[in-house]
Amino acid sequence: MTPGALAARRDLLALVLDTLVPASAGFPGAGAVGLDHVLAVAAASADLESLLWRGLQVVEEAARAQGGSGFAQLSPDDRESVLRQVEQSHADFFDALVRHTYDGYYGHPTVVARLGLDPGPLQPRGHRIEAADLPDLTRVTARGPIYRQA
Amino acid sequence: MATDDPTDVLVIGAGASGAAVAWRLSGAGIGVVCLEQGDWVDPRAYPHWRADWELHRQTDWSAEPNVRRLPQDYPVNDRASSISPLMYNAVGGSTIHWSAHFPRFRPSDFRVRSLDGVADDWPIDYATLEPFFDLNDRMMGVAGITGDPAYPPKSPRQTPPIPLDTLGATIAGGFERLGWHWWPSDSAILTRDYDGRRACVNCGPCDLGCPIGAKASTDVTYWPKALAAGARLVTRARVREITLGPDGLADGAIYYDREGRVRAQKARAVVLAANGIGTPRLLLNSRSARFPDGLANRSGLVGRNLMFHPYAMVRGTFDRPLGGHRGPIGCSIISQEFYETDLSRGFVRGYSFQVARGLSPIASANGGSVGDRVPWGREHRRAYDERFDRTITVAIIGEDLPEPGNRVDLDPALADDHGIPAPAVSYTLSENSRRMLDHGIARAREALGAAGAREVAFNPLLRAGGWHLMGTARMGRDPATSVIDPAGRCHDVPNLYIVDGSAMVTSAGVNPTSTIQAVALYVADGMTRRRA
Repeated sequence: MTPGALAARRDLLALVLDTLVPASAGFPGAGAVGLDHVLAVAAASADLESLLWRGLQVVEEAARAQGGSGFAQLSPDDRESVLRQVEQSHADFFDALVRHTYDGYYGHPTVVARLGLDPGPLQPRGHRIEAADLPDLTRVTARGPIYRQA
Repeated sequence: MATDDPTDVLVIGAGASGAAVAWRLSGAGIGVVCLEQGDWVDPRAYPHWRADWELHRQTDWSAEPNVRRLPQDYPVNDRASSISPLMYNAVGGSTIHWSAHFPRFRPSDFRVRSLDGVADDWPIDYATLEPFFDLNDRMMGVAGITGDPAYPPKSPRQTPPIPLDTLGATIAGGFERLGWHWWPSDSAILTRDYDGRRACVNCGPCDLGCPIGAKASTDVTYWPKALAAGARLVTRARVREITLGPDGLADGAIYYDREGRVRAQKARAVVLAANGIGTPRLLLNSRSARFPDGLANRSGLVGRNLMFHPYAMVRGTFDRPLGGHRGPIGCSIISQEFYETDLSRGFVRGYSFQVARGLSPIASANGGSVGDRVPWGREHRRAYDERFDRTITVAIIGEDLPEPGNRVDLDPALADDHGIPAPAVSYTLSENSRRMLDHGIARAREALGAAGAREVAFNPLLRAGGWHLMGTARMGRDPATSVIDPAGRCHDVPNLYIVDGSAMVTSAGVNPTSTIQAVALYVADGMTRRRA
């Protein structure tokens, strides 16, 4: 495998990511907003890039075994079926794929905003918590000391 | 080898305990040099200033040194341990990363042999430490409410408690319905400006550090005052070994400086504050003809009796948003309903419940501390939306009893960047701890159910949960069964002190930093009276 080989398969990888997290309910698919992160972490680790690249080969082979010409030609349901097979047969690849997909997807400003949160930095804004009275601890204190003297 | 100007006291490690000792000694006019293998953390470097802050939790801001792998970190072989040790190497040490949950040990925690027939009593007690708890509270700044019936009366807290918010009020309702103890946590996080530091703005991830100094990491509490009092702090200084003089007393240390040069720092006394793994590692690396099995190790107990605090995590899912992303991540509520020994439960000693805030977006997807990833595929969106911002996690923090087989040793092959042998950790969860955690899981399910959870999931043992490193050079009166005496001095080398979690005789069922620092101040007080 040559450096950058995974990036050369970005179209296939995007389809795989869209199968993991499909666009739904106003949320984008992971192929649209998680792909760059997955490629970036792979580019920073030769081991990870190799693992993902070899995993994509397995995905393509499994797709062809279903009678099609490749993963891209399958229906969404068949794509999910193929990935469930690969999840069983190549657990290490799949675990890394899903983890980095989720990282990229739920770290993306578009998705964070869709969740209802401010997608920008946490500082200096912080979060507002409405002022409230101190909790009523009457029942707890009414029991008296619950520690042992020693 | 370059030799630095000698000093009165050399402190090794600038974290929770080393900072406290350096402040106390320097304030008494005693010369202090502290060697710290990490650096100052620039407040602008924290990930909170970046939109991708959450990604850093798994990389350069991970609490696991084996994941983070920064130049100032050393590797830890934890393959023989069911819990991964966590730590941070910087000015402030692991208080950079902690969630600042700040309970004290309780009186019974110092008398476990007398009360329950297990482990050993401490040679000091709660009453002895009480003034040092109070002093430490003032230095760190504690948010809370007095009157908790789980403790003897405490001095006023420095600021009001961390707000419970919707999430805290929800689980408090569960404890109320069951009639169980609960209390807003004592937290070393300011809710009002105090002592020149700012109040918390509830941004959330204290575990990635606090960029505004509201959380009490010792780089913003003790160290500015210690430096003002004359202490000298040398960063990126990695100690290789503690040296002995011809009289058999410690006379300093040899260390690698920032440029990798070997240097010697001489001192009249040495204080080890390098955490419950770093301290035994350094002692075991300081072998000599006088101490062939490691410095101050005639008892053979250096590195033994490692206690972590095993954690089980129980997460309830609710039908409504809980606002869990708001507020300090680790600090909401503590319950000590099952803290004291009741043998009818099937185990000795007890545990606390610690209720933390909710999960951030990525953590929600990956399952957080429970580790159950949201399913992928067509069901993903529904499953994720049912979880995000709708969970409460209850941590069960159980008292780990000391066991000689749980230990820190030197790895025969692994070393840090300077070639210093790395620690190897062996740890097996005891049957007593397993029963304790199982009891806690069942009770936490009850509490979450009573609070309205519609679904509960749990992790029976959190692997990445080794925040608390204790017991590996324990305190006692008998040189045959302990490493340091009640004054914190090594039995074998009386001018060598140990003040970090290594000194702990037992672990209690609460977070230890408040107690570690109180012990450190108590030891420093004795040094001051004896002029070190």
